Amino acid sequence: MKTSLPLFRRAFFDPWRSTLAWAAGLAAAAFLYLPLYPSIGGSAQMQELMDALPVEMTKALNYDQIATGPGYTQATLFGLLGFLLMTIASVAWGAAAVGGDEESGQLELTLAHGVRRVQVVLERALALLLRVLILAGVVFVLVSLLNGPSQLGIEPDNLAGATVLFAGLALLSGTAALCAGTVTGRRTHGISAGAAVGVLGYVFNAVGRQSQDVEWLLDISPYHWAYGNSPVVNGADWAAAAWLWGLSAALVAIAAVALERRDVGV
Amino acid sequence: MAIAVSARSLVKKFGRREVLHGVDFDVEAGTVFGVIGPNGAGKTTTMRCLLDIIRPSGGEVRVLGVDPRRGGPELRRRIGYLPGELFLEGRVTGRRLLAHYEAISGPVPAGRIDALAERLALDLDRHTRKLSKGNKQKLGLVQAFMHQPELLVLDEPTSGLDPLVQQEFHAMVREARHRGQTIFLSSHVLSEVQQTADTVAILRDGRIITVESVTGLREGAVRRVRFTAHGIAARDAVALLTGVPGVGQVEVLEADGAVTLSATLEGAIQPLVRMLGQLELTDLVLEEPDLEEAVLRMYAGPWEALR
Repeated sequence: MKTSLPLFRRAFFDPWRSTLAWAAGLAAAAFLYLPLYPSIGGSAQMQELMDALPVEMTKALNYDQIATGPGYTQATLFGLLGFLLMTIASVAWGAAAVGGDEESGQLELTLAHGVRRVQVVLERALALLLRVLILAGVVFVLVSLLNGPSQLGIEPDNLAGATVLFAGLALLSGTAALCAGTVTGRRTHGISAGAAVGVLGYVFNAVGRQSQDVEWLLDISPYHWAYGNSPVVNGADWAAAAWLWGLSAALVAIAAVALERRDVGV
Repeated sequence: MAIAVSARSLVKKFGRREVLHGVDFDVEAGTVFGVIGPNGAGKTTTMRCLLDIIRPSGGEVRVLGVDPRRGGPELRRRIGYLPGELFLEGRVTGRRLLAHYEAISGPVPAGRIDALAERLALDLDRHTRKLSKGNKQKLGLVQAFMHQPELLVLDEPTSGLDPLVQQEFHAMVREARHRGQTIFLSSHVLSEVQQTADTVAILRDGRIITVESVTGLREGAVRRVRFTAHGIAARDAVALLTGVPGVGQVEVLEADGAVTLSATLEGAIQPLVRMLGQLELTDLVLEEPDLEEAVLRMYAGPWEALR
């Protein structure tokens, strides 16, 4: 029995429970935030509350734009809870893809079969990509469905562009985890690297927005590359999207070369 | 005869720690080659070099005529491998896992997986992570044997298996050999290798101490002999016995009336039999040679010499 992409199939289909669970989590986040917009985000009382909060805080949380439907969606779902869930899922999957598999001792047996190491990395990266795209797709569909009922007023084109950036941002953390996990053969190193990209990106954005003295932090924040111009409100910055996706591709390539060159399971 | 696997001055270093210090051996095609040695001797490292899981720091390896570094997937499809420590996780059934390995190894004849599973009494429809160590090991064996590879590399294949399944495994090895497959297996117990292997290599501290046929090992091994004879004085019997080449540790167990002696014998048994022919024996026990003891001495011997 010869099937094409056997490693991808195993990496994509076998953990369907995990994919489903994360999709459910993201759906819950969408249903939690978006229907509340008419009563919270757009109301005058909420605006008063926002005005009463320290401006540093609203900037850090990106809540300075919460008064409009697209801004509210950008800040709450894409910028906060959705970002968090997507990043955690992507990092966990990326770190497990090769580094975790090696640490648990299973990679050795796979490599003893008729596969190339580059193929192992690429097929598993493809599985990571598709799983992240599924999650992003779930968010896209749910926001589209809730757009009308929740009076969000999001332009469909802007939503599509924002989803591409949303997926690209999570994927960058995931491929960083995959790359570090593959280079070191340790799952925890993968998780550390992936989490660093996600968390530092978020922190650099939050701090960088505070004053012009630390604005340079925005330049090294993947979070800011993706969300600097609030894509749900203003449409995607396609150059930023290409940059995010291109970096992910480069990290996968580095992982493939690194695995090709080293001893496994030692 | 064709050589299926060979190593010349194989050296492997992990950082500054050298694990293999120049290992040499040849495995003839169609034979069973057993590597024994204490834990940490380098058995697993050697095997991983054959599969290109780790890369030698020096020396030359040939597997089925090809350098494993260059053989790629085509070479590995011709090999069946059982790792020393088998980890099978995930919520998949044994059948599904084997289907995955089937997709990335050589062609598997129809019905072969079920036949092997039945032989080993393995339930393929249970989730792998719920399997006991022995059952996981069986799954690993099925995975290694299913595509009837030209070369089987099995690292501690019987660990965790109960004696009945071990017997079945030995039968599988004999059948594979009969089909012309080559088997390279390791163990830290000799008795296991002794039952299946044609040739035994003893590995200790990253060096091959000796490569010997099992027959040769048996000849060189120590047997224990005990006999009871009539009509001879204990003193004379001891003198006769001590005169036989290879005899040592002579002990008189009984001396009133019948004489019972015990001793160890190393090497050929013919001289002893000739000497025993002169006696009026009432009892004779010549035990199976204890290869384990022979090997333990080999492990220990050079070590003592080094100090």
